[in-house]
Amino acid sequence: MTRREEILEKAKTIIVESLPELEGQSFDESTVINTDTGIDSMGFTLIICRLEAAFDVRIPNRQWQKLSTLGDVVDAIEKRMPKA
Amino acid sequence: MRFSGFRELLDHWAHSAPDRPALIFARGNEPAPCTFSELRQRALRRAEELKEQPGMARGILCDGSFGCVVEIFATVLAGKRLVLLDENASDAALIEMVREAELSDIWGDEDLQELLSSHLTAQAEGGPGKILFFTSGTTARAKAVVLTDASLMSSAYNGGALLPLVPEDRLLCLLPLNHVFGFVCGLLWGLSCGASVALGRGARHFGDDCQFFRPTALSAVPLLLGFLLQHQALNPELKLVLVGAGGCPKALLDAARSLGLRVHFGYGLTETSSGVALSLGSDPFAMSVCPDDTIRIAPDGEVLLSAPTCMMEGYWRRPAETAEALQDGLLHTGDLGHLDWAGRLILTGRKKEMLVLMDGTKLFLPEYEGAIAQALGTGDLCVLLQNGKPVLLLEGAAQPLEPLWEKLRPVMADRPRGQQLCGIYFYGKPLPRTASGKIMRWAVQREGILI
Repeated sequence: MTRREEILEKAKTIIVESLPELEGQSFDESTVINTDTGIDSMGFTLIICRLEAAFDVRIPNRQWQKLSTLGDVVDAIEKRMPKA
Repeated sequence: MRFSGFRELLDHWAHSAPDRPALIFARGNEPAPCTFSELRQRALRRAEELKEQPGMARGILCDGSFGCVVEIFATVLAGKRLVLLDENASDAALIEMVREAELSDIWGDEDLQELLSSHLTAQAEGGPGKILFFTSGTTARAKAVVLTDASLMSSAYNGGALLPLVPEDRLLCLLPLNHVFGFVCGLLWGLSCGASVALGRGARHFGDDCQFFRPTALSAVPLLLGFLLQHQALNPELKLVLVGAGGCPKALLDAARSLGLRVHFGYGLTETSSGVALSLGSDPFAMSVCPDDTIRIAPDGEVLLSAPTCMMEGYWRRPAETAEALQDGLLHTGDLGHLDWAGRLILTGRKKEMLVLMDGTKLFLPEYEGAIAQALGTGDLCVLLQNGKPVLLLEGAAQPLEPLWEKLRPVMADRPRGQQLCGIYFYGKPLPRTASGKIMRWAVQREGILI
């Protein structure tokens, strides 16, 4: 599994752990977080914070608005992780 | 207590309760207090420094920190015009706000200061005591409301008169200070009652700030309250929750009450320096009018407000819009409602083409629906609220959603997350319209298609 795939899988797990009502939904990199999943701004904040903790990175708050798809989130985390 | 402005507030408590914590903030991993005496000293010292600096109009990029609160008080004490800005707004929105409000100086995030520096005006007009709040919403319609420290303190007094806090209380401030509900009900309400105000650590800590600061009182927008309840993030010491700045499902208030909390719902506008009515009894939506305010209902059901001590001076540099909103001292709110047998306000809907979302922001529908119509190539649609979130209702039979979402993505991409559509529905028949062709959104909502 590539690092990118690893981040994506972890992100999916964290989304469902954070918002159990989304269990059973399928997610991929093109999933638009707000419109395709119905995750609101508070839910989004929770997920980002848990992802930051899981990968020990910090995405500046002002970048959050720019993260539209799950792929954008994976990009933002991958960019801030130490080089493998 | 009623205070004429920030100076009197700080003087009073610094003399009568100098050692009582005014603010509690995070220092490392521990809550740290700043007493009323220290807060006054810091604000006055900083005000003296500011008086020596050129420029009479300061913008504060609100990050909710202890330093931010000191800067806010100091700017007003220095006699400068103060403009409160949302540090999480987009670059374009911030530039627009800085130009609109005409600023000579900015405090806050250094990168943002640099971004905004070329839009400052050295000769910007001052205005001692004036505090400008931008109405929340889309950038095209955002405008600055001119309030004063006197009007804001009167609003805090009104809230405290109906919902008093005691010195032993600790009010947790989680809401942004550039939002008038957050400023008055998250900060000034507590300080004017002589209680302590705990300054939240930002969005990352919404889930654990209650456990960290152990508040007894909390003001929240519905979305935040829902989040705290869902994640069982409330602390056992919490007794009182004030919910405002947006429509709130009754189930949410009931869920909070089931935990033994006193839950009150408030109604107010930026134009009235925050709250004008609060629910005090068992019905969360029957709101008693605050002491300084009077509510009248126009023949068409619109709520008209008289709030002599809390009313805005007007919209900054927009006399025509001020005159339209404020007629004979009455604010035409655009909200619809009636008064019950006890004179309590019951809201029933909105007259203006605007939706108030659960996070307290506003959605101006002509612009929003226009962009959607352009993307989809049809104007036979309307945007409604479902559980406080915007959804799209299209005229006609159901059709595949994915092509519609594809067309809508560019429209939604630049909008704040709370303003993005959360669903698409089909009406199955022609949407009801007025004689002039406008869609009767409230008739559709009343049919109960969406909750």
